[in-house]
Amino acid sequence: MIHQGSDKDLVLKPDVCIAGSGPGGAMIASRLSRAGASVVVLEEGGYHTKEEFDMQEATAYPRLYQDRGNRATADLSIQVLQGRAVGGGTVVNWTTSYRTPDHVLEHWRRADGLPLTPEILRPHFEEVEQRLGISKVQYDDTNPNNRTIYDGCKKLGWQVDTTSRNVRQCLRTGYCGMGCPVDAKQSATLTYLPDAVNAGAEIYADCRAEKIEWQGKRARAVIGAFLKPGTQEATGRTVRVEPRVVVVAGGAINSPVLLLRSGLDSGPVGKNTWLHPVVALGAFYDEKIEGFYGAPQSVASHHFARREEGAGFFIEAAPVHPMLASIAMPGFGAPLRAKMAMLPSVCATIALMIDGFDAGENGGTVTVRDGGGPKLDYPFTDRMYECFRAGMKAIARIHLANGAREIVSFHAEPISIRSEGDLARIDQAPLGPNRFAVFTAHQMGGCRMGSDPARSVVNPQLRHHQVENLFVVDGSVFPTSLGVNPMESIYGLASWASAHVRTAAG
Amino acid sequence: MTGSRRGLLKKTLAGAALLATAGAVPVALRRTKLREIPGGRTLHFFTPAEYSIWAAVADRILAEEKPSGAPTASQLDIAGRADIFLAPLPDADRKDLKQLLALFDNALFSVLRGGPPRTFTSMSDEEQDAHIRSWQTSRLAIQRTGYQAMKRLCCALYFSAPETYAAVGYPGPPYDLVRSVLGVRR
Repeated sequence: MIHQGSDKDLVLKPDVCIAGSGPGGAMIASRLSRAGASVVVLEEGGYHTKEEFDMQEATAYPRLYQDRGNRATADLSIQVLQGRAVGGGTVVNWTTSYRTPDHVLEHWRRADGLPLTPEILRPHFEEVEQRLGISKVQYDDTNPNNRTIYDGCKKLGWQVDTTSRNVRQCLRTGYCGMGCPVDAKQSATLTYLPDAVNAGAEIYADCRAEKIEWQGKRARAVIGAFLKPGTQEATGRTVRVEPRVVVVAGGAINSPVLLLRSGLDSGPVGKNTWLHPVVALGAFYDEKIEGFYGAPQSVASHHFARREEGAGFFIEAAPVHPMLASIAMPGFGAPLRAKMAMLPSVCATIALMIDGFDAGENGGTVTVRDGGGPKLDYPFTDRMYECFRAGMKAIARIHLANGAREIVSFHAEPISIRSEGDLARIDQAPLGPNRFAVFTAHQMGGCRMGSDPARSVVNPQLRHHQVENLFVVDGSVFPTSLGVNPMESIYGLASWASAHVRTAAG
Repeated sequence: MTGSRRGLLKKTLAGAALLATAGAVPVALRRTKLREIPGGRTLHFFTPAEYSIWAAVADRILAEEKPSGAPTASQLDIAGRADIFLAPLPDADRKDLKQLLALFDNALFSVLRGGPPRTFTSMSDEEQDAHIRSWQTSRLAIQRTGYQAMKRLCCALYFSAPETYAAVGYPGPPYDLVRSVLGVRR
């Protein structure tokens, strides 16, 4: 059953308590419930269904995103798009689905002593792909915002392909990021969570896991606070869950902060947070693009994913709805309004930096701020600046090859690119916090897995190094970023890890 | 879309210096040019002075070169919408944002940064644009952060309002398509 709040204080004693209902939490809930365990899930976000998804940015972002769409690094230099709902990020992501790349698993084996191989994970990915209806997009089903990337890359001889998406009977409305209005997107709310509920799991929405009580090597309880729907404000009602096993699955920012709030600060908790930091350019075409309609993300190029000269990056599209576009577009006043007036003819193309693969990289850090919420810092480095500039130039080249009229950078003082000769200006433009727009929609790391307790928070089976009935099962355990959109990797890893959780639950 | 954050002003050296500057200004030079609050309604986050500063900022952030027929920031009462949006902010963030607004409208600080000896709310349109631009491109990270906080929230509140869709050529969500398909699938 899915409970929305509670009008009384509760004490529950299930086999397993899961904090968070995104892909990691949903998968564990499904696997464990179906194996006969009693499961309680605490989710700070609300439970929302298609009837509530009105395709309006003004409604969707405050309702379905962390901090009401307001999450960012402490200095506001990176805007953080992260879901907050029953189903977590799967409710609002753009449906792009990839298995963890083989070379990433190989890097983890070599650098972190992890046992994961493509062969070990294959059956888990196959099951996930079947359950979520993941299938490859046909070129003819891409929208112009994506097709320009495909066509431009082909003209340049660069690697490019359509992506796979977790949808069934998709109308390609373009509103995945605001909650699918027709239940085409196979979010956790429509798949693994109902599976869990049908097997007896109890999900408590609008309930934030505040703290894990623990002693020695045992977690004793999870304390949850019920919230007024859509807010961070506590109702005063609480739940005390006393399970045999605790699974933390709040995602790469909320999971480390829950551990830190609970005094579980041994190891690099909150360190090595990876974001796939995103830079974007707007490409203006003479014809209509209408990037607000159509599958938002259906093409990707990994041509520059493994660069020798610096961090790799990959290229995808972002949907072009007015609010999100206006935040990213540079400048203010008349120049901004003039660009916004051309919204139907703009392509939004993004380059996502693949962070975490250089030994000198620290990534971001999550700490606890006043009031108990997360504070995220992610200092920019020269390695990032080099990658950002390379990413911007690659995007510009794609659209120049494809005949765009003008390509505009998102620097504070934007650069207008109309020919190859203009690209050098990208190298000259000043970079720095809030000198150009940077986003993230993929949060990873912060509770990294590994065999060395000094360098990791959980062991290779995702069990906490110190507290033996505590697991972390979400994107926070990734030792690096992935170089692909992370949802399917989280599902697959959680499916694999569910056997370890089940053993611990007896 | 964002508010000020994390005790940022008080936790940085530059921020502390800026706040000291703001506090040292004679009261007369701190006086904000007040605006009328539509309908005289109760404010939840802003003081009347802060509301007036935000309204003036929104007017310039969202200014058009010449009127297109789209609603103005004032017509949509972007400051009033910001007041509602910001009301649930945690205490630390509230304090931060209020300090930011006080600094932004500070005449002495304007002078120190090479601007006119007036509060932002008393400046001409051209002076206000130059003032905003000086924050946008400042060498001080704290000012760029402040600019982003104001710009993002003004834009988010304005461009997410259906009344502005026509001005950007956005037809809006495809409700008919969704309704027809849901009807068939039922």
